[in-house]
Amino acid sequence: MIELHQASKTFANEETGHFVQALQDVDLTVGENEFVCLLGPSGCGKSTLLNLVAGFERPTSGRILFEGRPVRAAGPDRGVVFQDPTLFPWLTVAQNVDFGLRNLGLDAAERRRITDRFVSLVGLADFARSRPHQLSGGMKQRVQLARVLALDPRALLMDEPFGALDAQTRDRLQDELLGIWERDRKTVLFVTHNVEEAVYLADRVVVLAPAPDGITADVPISIPRPRNRYSEETREATMALIGVLADLPCCVLPSRRAGETPSRQPAITKPG
Amino acid sequence: MSSSPRSGDDGAGLALDVSAGAAGGRAAAPVLRLAHRRLSWQDVVTAGASLAIPLALWWGLAAIVMHLRHVAFPAPGETALRLIELARGRLLNDATVYRHVADSLQRWALGFGLAVFVGVSSGLLLGWSRLLERLSMPTVTVLQLVPGLAWIPIAILLFGIGESATVFMIAVTALAPIVINTTAGVKGVDELFIRAARMMGANDRTLFARVLLPGSLPHLLSGLRVGFANGWRVLVAGEMIVGTGTGLGYSIIQSRWTLDYAGAFVCIAIICAIGLLVERGFLLPLERRTVERWGLARAG
Repeated sequence: MIELHQASKTFANEETGHFVQALQDVDLTVGENEFVCLLGPSGCGKSTLLNLVAGFERPTSGRILFEGRPVRAAGPDRGVVFQDPTLFPWLTVAQNVDFGLRNLGLDAAERRRITDRFVSLVGLADFARSRPHQLSGGMKQRVQLARVLALDPRALLMDEPFGALDAQTRDRLQDELLGIWERDRKTVLFVTHNVEEAVYLADRVVVLAPAPDGITADVPISIPRPRNRYSEETREATMALIGVLADLPCCVLPSRRAGETPSRQPAITKPG
Repeated sequence: MSSSPRSGDDGAGLALDVSAGAAGGRAAAPVLRLAHRRLSWQDVVTAGASLAIPLALWWGLAAIVMHLRHVAFPAPGETALRLIELARGRLLNDATVYRHVADSLQRWALGFGLAVFVGVSSGLLLGWSRLLERLSMPTVTVLQLVPGLAWIPIAILLFGIGESATVFMIAVTALAPIVINTTAGVKGVDELFIRAARMMGANDRTLFARVLLPGSLPHLLSGLRVGFANGWRVLVAGEMIVGTGTGLGYSIIQSRWTLDYAGAFVCIAIICAIGLLVERGFLLPLERRTVERWGLARAG
């Protein structure tokens, strides 16, 4: 479904003239309908990898394939959910969902029907005519989800979509996402720096370290679904993953549990 | 579940669970929009004072000038009387005041309309293409630096004396700020908006019309303001020199020969009033309906 072959990406910093190696020779395959979490510390190239698959950026070398064909540009077959709210502020919730449908050349009645369905699916029917600035962070992420789901993408590419939300909202949205994924069977590539989130959601957790290390671990999560956040096996899988991360040059610590203040920014231990 | 307004938790107030989607129901209907503020007596007093202050200054100035220089400097009262006279149909330079206003407005609308069309479309392109911007921006900057009146000989050489020359002057002076601000607006559109649009299958035309244009509107409106003011100023100047036979600017300059200074002051007052009307009746409502309703900050 999604294949990266020896993918590398180098950015040039225009101010300093230095080159920054974001990804180096990364190989990764995501299977049909698989839910893969890409886990790693900030600045390890997770988002870059996602942007390559989305077609927002071109690899410096190597090949990116989607359903066997090279990725050339972004398109509605790969629905991207961004961390930052990227809803168009000049459109209402319903119009934001309708935006992509217009590009598909559907007639107005059909578009209306699909828009209504997906706005309701994410529980925002009463807010269909609100503008994004009138919504909370969690509601905005719901609209983002609705607007890509409406296009019926083959894969969902999610870049820390719940990273800026409070713990309670995040948990609910995770469950909604799993519900949608289990019903509609889509391939999901989900970037996160939150270990618990990865363990709770994924079939497979791919641990990415800053270049040149690249993918340092590929851990299947075999806990049966539906999963329990607080069960013993979830806990064990989390601890095992934290062990893997601890060996990285800089590592992510788990966010604190519900009840305490959620740590938005992962604590990073870095020598020096 | 949706009754208590809890802070910091957007989830609790809404029916979030997909399966229980309808449960939260109507109770959580959006009531986030602010109610329209009523006009208070303070607003009325402030508005009145903002008009009274310039009038008082004008009146004071007229009194001082008349005392010191012994010339008939038209005071507000005298100007008002002349305005009533003209409004009743008395001719000013062989035409009614209505004719002068209509002709001036028509020239302005033509010139400004041309500037908006050319300015916004080229601004969108310059904001999009780094190469085009680097090629053309020096020209636009130079355009902006040329004083409005310096276009007079060029306008006359290009179009001869008459309507076209005036319209050209309005268009060319209104153009630069519109181009510059639209370009800045497009460049300021968040890269993520463009990525999101592309991801949802937007082609170039959709991207321009539904993302870049609305996204640059805060800046674009500033450009329209400056462009409008430039065009309106040069309209008056253009009519003064490129002899057009009618128009507010033409009437003002003619008062040199007819000594009808009160009539000239009436024209100046009308020019100010129309300027204020366009700002309050067109540009400000446009801004309210768009930028402010979208929750975007007003561009400086």
